[in-house]
Amino acid sequence: MLTMILRRIVLAIPVLWIVASLTFILVRIVPGGPFESEKALPPEIVANLKAKYHLDRPWPEQYVMYMGRLAQGDLGLSYKYIGRTVNDILADAFPVSLQLGVAGLSLALLVGVPLGTIAAVKRGTAGDYMSMFVSTAGISVPSFVVGACLIFIFGIWLRILPVALWESGRHMILPAITLAVSPAAYIARLTRASVMEILEKDWVRTARSKGLSEQLTILKHVLRNALVPIVTVLGPLTAFLITGSFVVEFIYAIPGMGRFFITAVGNRDYDLIMGTTLVFAVLIIIANTVVDIIYLILDPRIQVD
Amino acid sequence: MGANKTGWKYIWHRMRSIPTAHAAFWTILFLLSIAILSALGVHFSPYTYYDTDTSMQMMLIGPCREHWMGTDELGRDMFSRIIYGSQLSISIGITTAVVAFFIGTIYGSIAGFCGGKVDSLLMRGVDIAYALPDLLVMILIGVLIGRGTSGILIALGLVSWMGTARLVRAQFLQLQHEEFVEAARAAGQSSLLIVTKHLLPNALGPIIVALTFTVPSAILSESTLSFIGLGLSPPACSWGTLASDGWRSLRTHPHLIFFPSLFIFITVLSFNFLGDGLRDALDPRTRLNFGKLQKTE
Repeated sequence: MLTMILRRIVLAIPVLWIVASLTFILVRIVPGGPFESEKALPPEIVANLKAKYHLDRPWPEQYVMYMGRLAQGDLGLSYKYIGRTVNDILADAFPVSLQLGVAGLSLALLVGVPLGTIAAVKRGTAGDYMSMFVSTAGISVPSFVVGACLIFIFGIWLRILPVALWESGRHMILPAITLAVSPAAYIARLTRASVMEILEKDWVRTARSKGLSEQLTILKHVLRNALVPIVTVLGPLTAFLITGSFVVEFIYAIPGMGRFFITAVGNRDYDLIMGTTLVFAVLIIIANTVVDIIYLILDPRIQVD
Repeated sequence: MGANKTGWKYIWHRMRSIPTAHAAFWTILFLLSIAILSALGVHFSPYTYYDTDTSMQMMLIGPCREHWMGTDELGRDMFSRIIYGSQLSISIGITTAVVAFFIGTIYGSIAGFCGGKVDSLLMRGVDIAYALPDLLVMILIGVLIGRGTSGILIALGLVSWMGTARLVRAQFLQLQHEEFVEAARAAGQSSLLIVTKHLLPNALGPIIVALTFTVPSAILSESTLSFIGLGLSPPACSWGTLASDGWRSLRTHPHLIFFPSLFIFITVLSFNFLGDGLRDALDPRTRLNFGKLQKTE
């Protein structure tokens, strides 16, 4: 397992290099630059600003400089949050997004797995149709609609929960629910399909016929095996949560990475765009590695090369 | 179409026995015909989507008899705007599915038909593309190409084809060893003919299911992008831009975000139910436990 993790780390370096290079080129061929805002600055000032951030140099030179700094872990300077380095901004924003993401993912798993399992076990009953209807609705509703509804009900109407910023545990409730709705629905659908398939296996019949109680059969023999496909989607799910965090952080004015990414794209804040994209890439690589590790634990037959 | 008529009739019959899918089918047909008719110039209300009425009493009014869904801050009739927005939202969904069909099918066919090294190389590419967050890629591509409708369509097309490609490849790998394909090969048919005449028609069912799911996810992505201000922007009018406009007055005039959201939700839900239904109907292993079919079985 240790060799596997080491291999992943070594493999991650070229992937990150490709991501960095692509983003580097992409942000620079986009029309508009960081200092072309509504208020046109005098050309001398723009020239000075560009010189300060070395944006007046030719691209290959900028590229070599950027990669050199990146190799040392320096992600550069933000052009809009003056005086702050990208490392600074991300050091503040990352924990916020991580908390939100972990809260959302845990909530999604806590709701999705039981919902899907119950639906599969009670297959064909009203409860099954009900939970499948709810989870199809869950994947069909845009998260900004969930957010708007929650804000309207709990923030404006009942006035019991804060609807913006990120200051206390109470601030996390609505954003975490908003983020969790579609992943939970997605996990529920997946769990149902997976559990239904496992329920027909021979070993489940064996477990039942040897007199094991239904609960124990489900917990010990069905769920452990049904979880494999669910673990598989944890990788894509991380990407999904990152996407979700863009919207949720936008709606609730949460100072996380998604929000910084969106504003950075709007501002053409090159280094900040690249910094956030790289962190997202690292997160996805870690998620996929974790998936493989959990695989090994859940099913020792799987060989990860 | 590849499958014979009785095949499609059978699928339709099976699908009709699933209430959600059946209802979804007619809902989609209804929404689609409204969008098409309005694009052809049929008016569903006495108001246009762009006429403003800035007299005090006509701005930002809630739903009432004259304006079923109220008016916005410029006194424009929301019902007319939503009908007009349906043209863009639905056509973006369907166009994306068509683009995903072409890119995904061609890519997946090459991988599945060639197999071996070509296959593993192409599929590694899909794996990488699949791992990236859609919205991240779409935002980056969107700013590159521009935020017009074409920019959004290209961005959506580029993130939507991977699922279809994987599916087509898997189907092809499975079908390759079927007798009818070997017979065609033995008869000396060209590769192109084998792909188009024998492999694709037999893989069509799952492809259609995948495409049915592409439409709602494209509609969701477009509305989400427009909502966070990185997708379409006014004067373009989609359900996403309408919801985005309504978001700003959530506190005071919730009807402005409610109605566009409702339409997005109903459309996406219908396509998802239709996709589920088609998948179950196409899969001969599923026994459908609903009313009619259960009796006939």
